[in-house]
Amino acid sequence: MVEVSTDRSLAAAAVGGFTPEVFAKHLSSVPAWWRERKKAAYARFEALPMPARTDESWRFSNLSGIRIDGFTPDAAPPAGTAPAPAAFALAAAPMLTFVNGRLAARGVLPAHLAAKGVVVSTLSEAAEKTPELLREHFMAQPQKLGSAKFAALHEAFIADGAFVHVPRGVEVDHPIVLIHSASGSGSAVFPHTLIIAEDNSKVTVVDHFHSNDAFGQFACGANDLYAGHGARIAYTAAQCWSLETLSLQFNSTVVRRDARVQSLNLHLGARQARHESLSQLQAPGGFSEMLALTVASGSREFDQRTLQIHQAPNTKSDLLYKNALLDRSRTIFSGLIVVDPDAQKTDAYQSNRNLMLSPDAESNSLPGLEIQANDVRCTHGATSSPIDADQAFYLKSRGIPEKAANELLIFGFFEEVLSRLENEELHSALRNLIRTRLGQ
Amino acid sequence: MSSLEIKNLHVSTGDKEIVKGVTLTINSGEIHAIMGPNGTGKSTMAKAIAGHPDYVITQGDVLIDGKSILEKESDERAREGIFLAFQYPSEIPGVSIANFLRAALQARMAEGEEIDASSYYKQLYQKMDLLKIDRKFTSRSVNEGFSGGEKKRSEILQMAMLNPKFALMDETDSGLDIDALRIVSDGVNSLRGPNLGILLITHYQRLLSYIVPDHVHVMIEGRIVKSGDKSLALELESRGYDWVKQELATA
Amino acid sequence: MSDITDTLETSLENPVSGIDQSSGNFKYDMTYDFDAGTGLNERTVDYISSVKKEAPWIHDFRQNALKTFMAKPLPTHWATKDLENINFDKIRYYLSQGQKPKRTWDEVPEDIKRTFERLGIPEQERKFLAGVEAQFDSEAAYSNIKEAVSKQGVIFMNSTEALREHPEIFRKYFGKVIPTSDNKFSALNSAVFSGGSFIYVPPGVKVSHPLQAYFRINAENFGQFERTLIICDEGSELTYMEGCTAPKFSTATLHSAVVELVALKGAKIQYITVQNWSSNVFNLVTKRGLAHEESEIKWIDCNIGSRLTMKYPGVVLKGRKSRGEVISIALANDGQHQDTGAKMVHAADETTSTVVSKSISVGQGRATYRGVVHIPKNLKGCKNNTECDALLINTNSRTDTYPAITVRGDRHAVQHEASVSKVSAEQIFYMQQRGLTEGQAMSLSVNGFINDLARQFPMEYSVELKRLIDLEMEGSVG
Repeated sequence: MVEVSTDRSLAAAAVGGFTPEVFAKHLSSVPAWWRERKKAAYARFEALPMPARTDESWRFSNLSGIRIDGFTPDAAPPAGTAPAPAAFALAAAPMLTFVNGRLAARGVLPAHLAAKGVVVSTLSEAAEKTPELLREHFMAQPQKLGSAKFAALHEAFIADGAFVHVPRGVEVDHPIVLIHSASGSGSAVFPHTLIIAEDNSKVTVVDHFHSNDAFGQFACGANDLYAGHGARIAYTAAQCWSLETLSLQFNSTVVRRDARVQSLNLHLGARQARHESLSQLQAPGGFSEMLALTVASGSREFDQRTLQIHQAPNTKSDLLYKNALLDRSRTIFSGLIVVDPDAQKTDAYQSNRNLMLSPDAESNSLPGLEIQANDVRCTHGATSSPIDADQAFYLKSRGIPEKAANELLIFGFFEEVLSRLENEELHSALRNLIRTRLGQ
Repeated sequence: MSSLEIKNLHVSTGDKEIVKGVTLTINSGEIHAIMGPNGTGKSTMAKAIAGHPDYVITQGDVLIDGKSILEKESDERAREGIFLAFQYPSEIPGVSIANFLRAALQARMAEGEEIDASSYYKQLYQKMDLLKIDRKFTSRSVNEGFSGGEKKRSEILQMAMLNPKFALMDETDSGLDIDALRIVSDGVNSLRGPNLGILLITHYQRLLSYIVPDHVHVMIEGRIVKSGDKSLALELESRGYDWVKQELATA
Repeated sequence: MSDITDTLETSLENPVSGIDQSSGNFKYDMTYDFDAGTGLNERTVDYISSVKKEAPWIHDFRQNALKTFMAKPLPTHWATKDLENINFDKIRYYLSQGQKPKRTWDEVPEDIKRTFERLGIPEQERKFLAGVEAQFDSEAAYSNIKEAVSKQGVIFMNSTEALREHPEIFRKYFGKVIPTSDNKFSALNSAVFSGGSFIYVPPGVKVSHPLQAYFRINAENFGQFERTLIICDEGSELTYMEGCTAPKFSTATLHSAVVELVALKGAKIQYITVQNWSSNVFNLVTKRGLAHEESEIKWIDCNIGSRLTMKYPGVVLKGRKSRGEVISIALANDGQHQDTGAKMVHAADETTSTVVSKSISVGQGRATYRGVVHIPKNLKGCKNNTECDALLINTNSRTDTYPAITVRGDRHAVQHEASVSKVSAEQIFYMQQRGLTEGQAMSLSVNGFINDLARQFPMEYSVELKRLIDLEMEGSVG
């Protein structure tokens, strides 16, 4: 619990290891165009307090686990670091690989896509080639879910990130894979992915977050998705940080007219992870599908906060977050659907399902609705229940041992979410990742 | 014998005028078909006659048996004998069809009189059977989860139970396949008689092969531009609405 | 333990600015026999206790509660900031016989008079409810019932009498189900409570006729700081009804009641409230039941009136196989905020809790649902089902839902579902086109929505409720 009694210790807790001195050092390593923004971000980070017990947006969170001291940004990967593993066996080679925030490897974009103007590059390159795009979209969305302080920290210390731009009408068939890895004990990394899909374009992007070793790290990442008129984005993020890492991740998705965005977040790693996701349905006909799967084991904690805001009529959102809780783990799901007064004919759904697999696991659900338009259809639901006893017995009676039976049932539980993926290859790859985690 | 007179009707929604002077008389026992391209004011006219709050009658009059109904609220007009079969009937969750119709019938009775339950149900089932609506539907909420065809049949059921003098049927055939169309048409035809006048609004001629009209009127840009008998419908089918527009232009 | 107290903390807001005497259009009789004055301090409490001739332990209880009340801050970190408008110094905490503020029949607003007419309230009752008369002479009806139940050994009296004459029964649970320090307003009530019903039902006695608070309202304070304690001994059964569908006028704009229920092994308590306070009232209530082994506590709550109601009936399921249920209907019309919900705390194996909440927001009305379901890890076999549905009538309505569900362990099944739907102008037109008047159409829609719940009320309430909702719905579309 962050209970401090002196001003000095209060101030110290407010910046942890990210002191002004550390920041100054970081600033000297970034290009000039970024410095003003970063300074402003750091000032915000310094000024905002750490989350407190009385903050509604941090209700049920284990605040004592949110400690930001002892981490070093911009750390060079230790000598002899093993290269990043194959991105969970997808045919396409990764397009970008970042290690501790800096680009370490790069794939080649198929010629026909490059010819059509598809760009998969870094934020630094985008700053040179299309600065106006960056200005308009980078960290441009509001922080409404409780982590303004950490979003500011991210902006202050980010080294580089991925930039994906798909021009009008272009459809990219194969998934674009991006790898963000962290190396070394105490490394602080700030992964960033910015996806801009112009009108009627289509793209699938996969972010894979992982640690190269078993050390504790600090990951504070952001991903922002923009879908233009009629665009389609399918985004998947597989979070596989080491089991000692503290992970904070913020997503925002802007859905314009008739656009469709699907976002699937798989949480397998980290000692404590907080994930915030904001969907803004800004124009009629938009659809945002928010999916998440979490395997919570050990004594780890997964905290997911979401916000579906309907700002225009005839929009739709559909959220399905499933958590499997083992051992002494904890999960928190807090989801709010907000419908503005003019957003008539909104269809909004939210469902949180928790599979309780151990006597010591704990789930917390806070589904919420704030509805101001009256011609809407909104439902939310949350359930927490154990494996169906009849089902478990049935498997056992066929000779399947308990561990294997549970695994089968957990996959059954997750299948509802995985089956929403259009890409079969991705579907199997994720299943394999989950299988590996469960096996550990 | 009753008459529904529409006299030089002008209807606006917002500040846009949609119906620009329609004059038409429907007598009991007659079926008048109104055909025309989309957006031409057919539905608007029907809804305005029924008293829909979104539409304003800026000029003209509507009279039943010589008495204007424009000062009356929509429910009063309904009790006077106007029935609007909606193009998009509303869903009313939690209110069963049986209770809904009962309330509607009760509303038409004099103060102190009560509906006789057993004869009500007898009549209801009889009509449901006629329209091939499963009797179990009585306990379902009005139009909730109904398919397009089921909603249209449900409208006809209500019409059968409420015995209007004049039925305004708004695109009753839209969204129906041939089978559904046949059932709905049989239902309407079974109600046809000397005490009922029908205004049948449709875009396609198809419906009129099943429900044969006495008069056909073509409405274009808010006005009735041509009238004839059922053969006019067939002509429109083969020559399209542009033919009428051209005829007008050259007239 | 801190987790539980946090989640059990009820925020009760009293946005009372000044006292009624400055608002409204009625006269006051300026001489009072028993008048604790305005504002709240130790002397106020001394005064109340001495007027009631209370035993020292009660006096101490009040004084301690006063200290707690003063020390606790307003919980505005989650509840509306309106709370800050309460000016505690300007409230009168105790007024007694003959000194009730009155008004003349002429001064009673027209719409209230019309409501009485439409609901068929008897002439005599109208004056009482409208605040024209201080006392309703219900002795006749009341005494019959009192006689019948006392033959069964049931004790049924007001809080003052009960604590004086039967401390051996009531002291055991008084202030235990809802401790003084539970929240700022239970502390306030504990300091200045007056009136309310204390009931004890002996083992095995099943009270066949519902007991009503209505008969127990006396001149004392119109239920401003009522305190109710009901103890049902093993195997006994009781239904208790408070409030009535008729709008009740109150000069006091702050009502902060506490209701404690104790159901011992195998007992069943059903507590029905129909609240229709006049639109100047802030109604903040703490209600909780303690359910022992195999017992059942059911709260049936209907909130139609008041300017702001904040009420989260709860059950602590302390005994194995006990059951808790909250059924709630809330109607928020123009200028109203119904902030209601439920709290279910499971503290034993195989306990079950059910919450069904239906709210209707009309015009500018605002309905909020807040719920807590808590199931700790050392238990097994617990179940919860929560369903909350909101009906919106008219584009300016607002509805919010904020449940919080914590489940530990793999031996429980918890389910929460909520939905929001509407009655639109198009729907109303559809029904009107079938010949129903606007009012009838609205009534059908709304009654369809609450149908299942309304059936849980005793027959006579159910009918009155339907009529009352019909009235509220008239003219609500536009």
